[in-house]
Amino acid sequence: MKKEESSERPDNTAFTQQRLPAWQPILSAGIVIPGFLIIGLAFIGIGIALFLTSQTIQVLERDYTGYEQDSPCFSCTSSSTKNCTCEITFSLDKPFTGPVFFYYGLTNYFQSFRKYGVSKDDNQLSGDTTYFKSPQDQCFPYQYDSNKKPIVPCGALPNSMFNDTFELFHVVNKTKKRVPLDGKGISWWTDYNIKYRNPSPVNGSLANAFEGTVKPINWPKPAYELDPTDPNNNGFMNQDFLVWMRRAALPQFRKLYRRITEGDYAAGLPAGDYSVTIHYNYPVLNFDGRKKVVFSNVSWMGGKNEFLGIAYLVVGSLCLVMSVVMLVVYAKFKFKEDS
Amino acid sequence: MVRTSKTEKGVCWEVQANNQTFHKSLRRRSILCVRWGRYADNVVRSYKYTPLTFLPLNLYEQFQRAANLFFLLIVILQCVPIIATIPWYSTMLPLLFVLVVRGCKDLATDVGRRRSDSQINKRPCDVLTPEGFRTVKWKDVCAGDILRVHKDQVIPADLLLLCSTEPHSLCYVETADIDGETNLKFRQALTVTHAELKADQAEKDLAAFNGVVWCEEPNGNLHSFKGELHWKGERHLLDIDNLLLRGTVMRNTNTAYGLAIYTGMTSSDSKILQNCGRLILKKTRVEVLLNKTVLVILLFMLTVALLLAIGAGIFELQVAPQLNVLVALQRGSSAAYLGFLNFWGYIILLSPSMPMSLYITFEVIHVVHCLLIGWDLEMYWEDNDSPAQARTSTLNEELGQVGHLLSDKTGTLTQNRLLFRQCYIDGKIYGDMSQECKPLDLSWNRFSCGGMKFSDQRLVEKLRGWSSPECQEFFTALALCHTVMSEWKDGLPQYQAASPDEDALVCAARELGWVFLSRTRETLTISELGITRNYQLLAILDFTSKRRRMSVLVREPGGELKLYCKGADIVILERLQKDQPLQEDTDSALELFAQNCLRTLCVAVRPVPESLWTEWSHALNQASMAGGNQETMLEEIYDQMERELMLLGMTAIEDRLQEGVPETIEILRKAGVKVWVLTGDKTETAVNVGYACKLMDPDTALIQGEELRQLLDSPSPDVRAMSKEPEVWITDRKSVKSKTALVIAGPELEELTQKPEWGARFVNLAGQCQSVLCCRVTPAQKAEIVEMVKKHSTSITMAIGDGANDVNMIKTAHIGVGVCGVEGSQAVQNADFALAQFSFLRRLLLVHGHWSYYRVCGFLLYFLYKTSAFALVHVWYSFYNGYSAQPMYESWFISLYSTTYTSLPVQCLGIFEQDVSAKSCFSWPEIYSVGQENKLFNPLVVALTLLYSLYSSIILFFIPMGILQHSTLDFQTLAITVETSVVFTSTVEVVLKTKYWTKYSFAAIVFSLVAFFLSTFVLHSTRLFTASPKDYFFLGASANAFSSPEVWLTIFVTTCVAVLPSMTMRALSVVLTNPNKHKIHSSKEPVILQSWFQRGTLRRRSSYAVSQGKGFGKLITTGVGLHSAAPPQDRRVTPNGLIRGSPQHAGIEMNGSYRA
Repeated sequence: MKKEESSERPDNTAFTQQRLPAWQPILSAGIVIPGFLIIGLAFIGIGIALFLTSQTIQVLERDYTGYEQDSPCFSCTSSSTKNCTCEITFSLDKPFTGPVFFYYGLTNYFQSFRKYGVSKDDNQLSGDTTYFKSPQDQCFPYQYDSNKKPIVPCGALPNSMFNDTFELFHVVNKTKKRVPLDGKGISWWTDYNIKYRNPSPVNGSLANAFEGTVKPINWPKPAYELDPTDPNNNGFMNQDFLVWMRRAALPQFRKLYRRITEGDYAAGLPAGDYSVTIHYNYPVLNFDGRKKVVFSNVSWMGGKNEFLGIAYLVVGSLCLVMSVVMLVVYAKFKFKEDS
Repeated sequence: MVRTSKTEKGVCWEVQANNQTFHKSLRRRSILCVRWGRYADNVVRSYKYTPLTFLPLNLYEQFQRAANLFFLLIVILQCVPIIATIPWYSTMLPLLFVLVVRGCKDLATDVGRRRSDSQINKRPCDVLTPEGFRTVKWKDVCAGDILRVHKDQVIPADLLLLCSTEPHSLCYVETADIDGETNLKFRQALTVTHAELKADQAEKDLAAFNGVVWCEEPNGNLHSFKGELHWKGERHLLDIDNLLLRGTVMRNTNTAYGLAIYTGMTSSDSKILQNCGRLILKKTRVEVLLNKTVLVILLFMLTVALLLAIGAGIFELQVAPQLNVLVALQRGSSAAYLGFLNFWGYIILLSPSMPMSLYITFEVIHVVHCLLIGWDLEMYWEDNDSPAQARTSTLNEELGQVGHLLSDKTGTLTQNRLLFRQCYIDGKIYGDMSQECKPLDLSWNRFSCGGMKFSDQRLVEKLRGWSSPECQEFFTALALCHTVMSEWKDGLPQYQAASPDEDALVCAARELGWVFLSRTRETLTISELGITRNYQLLAILDFTSKRRRMSVLVREPGGELKLYCKGADIVILERLQKDQPLQEDTDSALELFAQNCLRTLCVAVRPVPESLWTEWSHALNQASMAGGNQETMLEEIYDQMERELMLLGMTAIEDRLQEGVPETIEILRKAGVKVWVLTGDKTETAVNVGYACKLMDPDTALIQGEELRQLLDSPSPDVRAMSKEPEVWITDRKSVKSKTALVIAGPELEELTQKPEWGARFVNLAGQCQSVLCCRVTPAQKAEIVEMVKKHSTSITMAIGDGANDVNMIKTAHIGVGVCGVEGSQAVQNADFALAQFSFLRRLLLVHGHWSYYRVCGFLLYFLYKTSAFALVHVWYSFYNGYSAQPMYESWFISLYSTTYTSLPVQCLGIFEQDVSAKSCFSWPEIYSVGQENKLFNPLVVALTLLYSLYSSIILFFIPMGILQHSTLDFQTLAITVETSVVFTSTVEVVLKTKYWTKYSFAAIVFSLVAFFLSTFVLHSTRLFTASPKDYFFLGASANAFSSPEVWLTIFVTTCVAVLPSMTMRALSVVLTNPNKHKIHSSKEPVILQSWFQRGTLRRRSSYAVSQGKGFGKLITTGVGLHSAAPPQDRRVTPNGLIRGSPQHAGIEMNGSYRA
């Protein structure tokens, strides 16, 4: 017994003796080649489904930057004009099934630039008024204005908010019929309900809560007056603001502007002529940017996306090719062995 | 004393006996790194840290690792707000963790060292003080002290032997801890100190002793010492025979007194410590390549960061100025400056490609591999309760790459136990070789001590019945013809032999009733079955390696003269009388013994007529008076006497091999490991053992001596290119692989280490031979040979040994293995791995080594892949964010990716993975070559892996980006998509790599994925966001992304494309190699064993192996050490020169002439 105690004898367990029960999959050509074949076929199946789905989605894009002289918005491109309005038209041969989404798009615009992306104050935007008085440093140089007053919302990202507005008209018999645009719920649920909070109103007024602060330099109006039509769509809770604040990943991006879900157009846009009236405010030509409006409907898999289906088709075909190659190699190899 | 005029050059180490004040004033001291003073104290200080120096020193050491320094730099960069692209804690915390863990480990080992130091320092010894001998601790001994050493004590410092209680102040020491030899060596005091300092009144005499020793500065040469003692106005020469070295053990001597000359451990004044060699930090080849890879990755990273920084500069210069929003962000800085900042930003961003966690995990895997070695029951030795031990935790994978195994012989291959197994007398062979032999009943013999592995009742009966004069004479010869000394203890004679062979023979004779009792200078007393008989000893014709025999000339009690001779068969058989009977029996017995790998000696006798003796002794006297070539003259005279012999019989001694040695060597040879045996033994013994342990086949031709020299002298530097020349070995080349072995000894060995061009040729030549035997090797040469192999071949060397003489070699080799044997623990202390048995090497290399290599390589490649693929995505994204060092991922993901989301599966891969089972490792030792040829982790494989990770990173970014670019893609959704794809890709990759699925592997995969989704969910939750909006700003991003089928479809196709190449490669390899693999896995037929037992072509003969060097013969004939009066040696130096001792002592005089 005593010997047992002092013994250095190692434990005889499966772990210490490296005898753990284990599953050792032994692959053979009989598994591998059909496996590749099946995977390939599955991918091709998915790819075809995705591609066909994508084909059903309608997309309509119109550039309205006014870069060319003959374009309707050319007159608005000179920086001197204020409150410029221009109009672009398009016609639909086929009805555009709803719900139709109305996007604006920007090109060559670096929302993904690191310092630009962090140039905002999340604490401020979550309604914390202590940060109204002293915004965080990453907002610099949009932290304080020249009078040392704090900017709310501070930072380059809010400051550069897109401020063109659009109206859509259905031209029926040369009369313009306004297509109602739904601006509710175009932002993320979490952004609207959690991430962004207005400061609690002071004396029932949101404007008072912003007292002692100044609006971002580029903004025509302070945050609490962003939407004069709907008092609940103001401050940080403005849907357009929220959409803008959700940073795009790439320098070419589109953001949701409105949805067409109401009235006569709930089922989509019927065929016919349409015009978009643009209140042209946002300068992009100085950095060779482009602005466009996009109309699109969606399917279960999102917007129009041919690349996804093609990717699946390519991978599937590769697998098929590989399985054939392997079959040939295997046959040759086996033949050699046999002989 | 004016030393320059009176002493030789180089002799400038002064030690004054009994003068503490002199040495204390010159005691070596040190503060920090400044040292002064001359004499070290005797304290062992192997520890590194003091409480004060621990922190700075340990940190300094840790930051000498380039990786740590690099991560410190990254942490510092991350703390600079202007360039911080990810938060500081993502690197800081792991770094701190690593530093603390490694610091604790270092501290623990240092505490252990302190403990063992203090044990040694506290050992007691007796030092002479003005109040007489007092017991002090070892550490308090200093140069100039006079010490008293008792029997069986370890000698605490290098002492000049002044006198001892033995006659002529002789003193026997065992030097096992120094050179591994277990036979006794004698040391002798100077005549003058012996005469003047009487051991029986030592205290008084020694207190008055005021000699001054002038000698060399401390050096590491264990076999030479130069110095002189100045005492009473005279100078006396000193050499190594007067010196007792630290670490040797005193035996057979009651008390000895010595003067401490060299002391100290750390400052290494004492000779053995000078020999210890420096601790070399060993790095495995895999690690070296890993470090190079890291360097390449770093350079790549710097280049990429530089290019991106240039891109950033151009962007800031050309694009940004037009963007109002970005102009403001430039804050008026120049584009170059912004580019410069982005350079550092990108360095931080790309640094995860070389994550801290790689090093942590690597270490963890090493530790687990070490534990598994220690836990292995098949490497646990019941007898001394010792499991295998991995003492260095960083060398495991190299165990799978060993190309050269350099083994010690004694104690490693052999048990260092010589057993008398068989004998041949008068045409009959007695004894058998079966393992199970029931011991003889020897109770009738009161001198029997047991321990015989010999059972043949026939012989005992013949002896006891006095029925066979041949047998009686045979054993009489064994009891007489030797140079063994006896000592009485508890009524039994204890033998001290110069070689274990003699010991075995004399003991065998004793067990069978022919007991050697005692000897004086002139007589030998033996007891023949209880009848005590006195033989007059007339002459000892001592052994030399050239003569390969020894004889004694005795006068029997009846008055007849007889010469008993024993020696190598070749030598003896040619000296026999013509027409010996039973010629054929003798030959067949020799062959039988040789087959059983027994060491054989022939024993013969010659009755000598009185007249011959008179004549011969006259010649002998004349020869010993003569100077010059006395040796050759003596040889000739001896030769005249050893003629006309009559064969009495032959002895067969087994040099017992350790268990499983032949099998182990055989399988290692099949695995492609070159086994070299380095031994201090003589060539014959080594060759014998070489055959016994299957190092060589019975029909293997040996290349040695002149033949080898010719080969090595061949002018062509490349041995392989010599095929034009009709060299000896060229003709053998077709069969060379299995049929030749190199045997190198003595002068060739010396030249080998000196001539660099020989080294390369030798190693090259050895590569074509079965094995190599190096004989007569000193500890330092062992290390030199290892060094040579390391230098001239690319393979990994492993040295295995058990004694202190192997320490150097163990330290020098890539991997050192210590066998926990009987020769003390020095080898184990210095080894990287410790085993109880040589045969465990088989499992250590073929199973643990192979697995370790396989696992570590798989682990490293996968780790490099997953982190590079992960980090490179930032590079592609930078094209779309103005080179602004915008991370592709959330900062939390960056910190958690390699520590949580992908860490466990790769650890399982590194710990559990097995490509083949342990059994298959033994059945197909050939697969070991995977490691030897370094097939799994070489520059090509690493480059391919990195290219593959580059490909994966491209896929991981561009496919999601391409698919999602036309949607309302926001940054966070893209980030989540890419993150998920990265996690999936690395998980699928590890799934593809794993071939051995334990429950832990499954659990790790599940855990990783669950951890990813769970922590993503938590990190993007409302609660954390409200707590700190700034740190958790990804609120809701994952919920939004994961609810979109488009994102899932993207993730799926991205992952598939990213792993497609590796999947295809694997599938192709399955298709291509399947038939072979199938064979390996399912074949039940045994591997065809090459026949190692072709007995027909036996060419070799037995070996004579009496003593390691010259025997005690001279000592006996001169009477020194025996209790008979004879004037001791005198080597006083007088102005007139050397006073020679009387002629009969000339032989013991080692260094004959000396001129002042």
